[in-house]
Amino acid sequence: MDDVKKIAQGTIEALQAEGAEKAQCTALVSEKREFNVDGGEFSLFRTLFDKSLSLMAIKGHKKGNIAINRFDDEAVAAAVKDCIAVAESASEDEAWDIAPKQEDRKVVQGAPEADVDLLFSRTKELLKDINERFPKIIVEQMIVSHEKTNKVYCNTSGSVFDVTDGVYEVSVMFSGHEGEVASSFFGSGVITADLDTPFIELGTLKKDLADVEQQIHQKPFEGKFTGTILLTPGCLGSFISSIVSNFASDGVLLDGTSLWKNKLDTKVADERITIHIRPEDDRIVCPEVYTNEGFLSEGYDLIQKGVLKQFKLSLYVANKTGHPRAKNSAFSCVIEPGDTSYEDMVKNIKKGIIVGRFSGGNPGTNGEFSGVAKNSFLVEDGKITGAISETMINGNLADILNNLVAISKETVCDGMDVLPYMAFDGIVISGK
Amino acid sequence: MLQDMITGKRPLFVSDVHTELRAQVNRKRRINLLQGNLTTNVRTEESGVSARVYKNGVYGFSSMADYSNEAVQAVLKAATENAVFMDSHIKKGKGMFPTIPFATQALNYQVSDVDQKRYIEFVKEIDNYIAVKYPSLASRMVIMSEDSMEKLLSVSDGLDTHTVIPRSYIYLFLNTETKDGVPIEQFKPIGGFGNFSDQFTDPALLFPEVDKLYDVTMQKKEGIYAEAGYKTVILGGDLSGMLAHEAVGHTVEADLVLGGSVAAHNLNKRVASDLVSMVDFAHTYEGAMAPLPVYVDDEGTPAEDAVLIKEGILTGYMNSRETAKHFDMKPQGNARAYLFSDEPLIRMRNTAVLPGKSKLEDMISSVEDGYYLTNTNNGQADTTGEFMFGISMGYEIKNGKLGRAILDTTISGVAFDMLKTVDMVSDKMTWSSSGFCGKKQPMPVGMGGPQLRCKVMIGGR
Repeated sequence: MDDVKKIAQGTIEALQAEGAEKAQCTALVSEKREFNVDGGEFSLFRTLFDKSLSLMAIKGHKKGNIAINRFDDEAVAAAVKDCIAVAESASEDEAWDIAPKQEDRKVVQGAPEADVDLLFSRTKELLKDINERFPKIIVEQMIVSHEKTNKVYCNTSGSVFDVTDGVYEVSVMFSGHEGEVASSFFGSGVITADLDTPFIELGTLKKDLADVEQQIHQKPFEGKFTGTILLTPGCLGSFISSIVSNFASDGVLLDGTSLWKNKLDTKVADERITIHIRPEDDRIVCPEVYTNEGFLSEGYDLIQKGVLKQFKLSLYVANKTGHPRAKNSAFSCVIEPGDTSYEDMVKNIKKGIIVGRFSGGNPGTNGEFSGVAKNSFLVEDGKITGAISETMINGNLADILNNLVAISKETVCDGMDVLPYMAFDGIVISGK
Repeated sequence: MLQDMITGKRPLFVSDVHTELRAQVNRKRRINLLQGNLTTNVRTEESGVSARVYKNGVYGFSSMADYSNEAVQAVLKAATENAVFMDSHIKKGKGMFPTIPFATQALNYQVSDVDQKRYIEFVKEIDNYIAVKYPSLASRMVIMSEDSMEKLLSVSDGLDTHTVIPRSYIYLFLNTETKDGVPIEQFKPIGGFGNFSDQFTDPALLFPEVDKLYDVTMQKKEGIYAEAGYKTVILGGDLSGMLAHEAVGHTVEADLVLGGSVAAHNLNKRVASDLVSMVDFAHTYEGAMAPLPVYVDDEGTPAEDAVLIKEGILTGYMNSRETAKHFDMKPQGNARAYLFSDEPLIRMRNTAVLPGKSKLEDMISSVEDGYYLTNTNNGQADTTGEFMFGISMGYEIKNGKLGRAILDTTISGVAFDMLKTVDMVSDKMTWSSSGFCGKKQPMPVGMGGPQLRCKVMIGGR
């Protein structure tokens, strides 16, 4: 077994000896065991032994990065020299920096040791549950795994973080079929730290399977209207990710194209919306311990009661723009629930659609989005009237946050995020 | 170049199973210059060895980041044990797939490296040209990306090979906004197969490409929103290539056919107008090298073209050796892995709609009210063949003449319905190869096609 800490510390010393003024390094070893099901049948059992060494050096305000997956002395020495050479090739930029000395951490979290036999049993059980309870579902692919990683981060400020994670992950792609008629495919997944619960009871898997069975006879509808979209937690996650990317991330703040660039501490959303980026939430499995620049991770509010409180910025872009850095570099999104049940949210829709998945182009920096509502249902006068296909939705990511109809009181955790259902008005919904 | 610790290890293979032993190194070099800021300056290498063993209908696989004789023995042992575990629990009882005669194929290309400084200087020269000549742009980004996959493969039957696929690209991104404040982004990838030093010798040679991209960006700045609805359009070559890959190609990958894709019920049936033929080219197109040539796949199968649609009839799938046996088809070299730690999956290589006989100008003049859609910035499809493509550039067509540029929009449809509406196919082929296909693992792929006249849903505002 490689001594990961010794390799990371030795690499930092070598980078300093080669002239790095500031440097950081992460050495990582991992073991993964993975079962695959394809076309409804077990197909593959994988065992992977991996490692990586990531180096970053700053010399004369110039930064370089190298990543390799070898730990032998010759490879590490070459990587150190290469990293310095890459840094020396770069342009001077005083914004590059790393965190000052933090309190050292040694963390073991999740399920570091795999129970392979129970994992296999749970996987067989899931396949059996799906076949028996959802007979119209074909499992296109199921990937179930356990991965243990031990990573050690060191930097020239003297911080050392030694983190061991163990995570079980379940990912299922499936579609519903009756004869030659089929639904769109759908993906559902969850990560967990234990095998106590049958997989079908985790996350939204059971509801997703039931919904997809109801989508087999999906049909296009005629016409176009402006109405409500009710986003499922999984679909909401992709919208929130686009909102952060379009308005609050490094690239758009650095090039100045963010619509929110001058909106810190101002209202950008309905006051019922609070979005935490909160890795320390006890529902998040194996949360981030330290940031990409060597700060200990802490939670923060992206939006608090509709007010933009923080951009999701790296230390580099924070230094370039003068905005505060984000206190973690994860995307552990926790959205505050509302006070309406999902059932009532559906009942309150005059005309709209429940969107299970959005297949759209990259929204412009102005937030305009356009794409196909997949795995979706039409709702008329508070009732679900059928599954729909070939339906396009158009809107604006910034506008929808101010056109909130309701947030569900139910939330769903998939081990990575905690999300409710959310409904928004003013969306252009076009049939065939 | 990868040292050969693979050849000669066949005596370590267990009998009565199929075994693949693969050593691999993936190299990446990347420079991002955003508004003159060097935001990415990275070199990475990932190498290691893996083994996959097939026994009675199930696979065992193992990989290690080490590349040594000990690692070779360890992954062979672990992969074999995993196959035995699966076989003992699952008991599919499927036999071996047909053997492929033994042969060898030697390396046909050498990867060469470049100092990071040279990449940076090259990119900076282009960035400086844009900054000086076009100061009114809202922002700009220039990216250099070079990657390669080098593999040594030894199989219990089939071809032992040493292969490499290197790619090098410069990506240009120009941003501005309309008078109403609508952001406009245009991008263009330049490059293809080969080392950076083979593709790019002088940054000044790329300046005309910058100028062309700027002109298009300015046209789009004056653009209008497309009118939403079911419209007659001419899809440019980038879009027909995307269609070939996303909306049809994935549905005819045999593993997805077994998962219930729309192609499962359509073999030997009409799925397109008789003007449409589609092929997944292995390595050669019209006597020249295809964009990303594959000569042997990672199961040791010699690669040959897979004909998918012939004159509108769905004629075949893309297969691994296992699915080829299931469907009683011939494996044609589509099983490929991205990293040393990845198992081979059924992947496309160079998938294209074949050109026809029409001239683009005749196609445009034939459209009374529609659009000519020239560029896409992303595309998605599902196994029903329903697709969505982002349109990043296009023009309205009114009374047979090209009109104003249009702003970003999307198109959608169902592939096997939409392809039946194709009534003109141009004689001009466009290839692209700068992206990655995503399917459990990423994979560099080529795609291409001519202009197609057809009907799709176009999104408006």
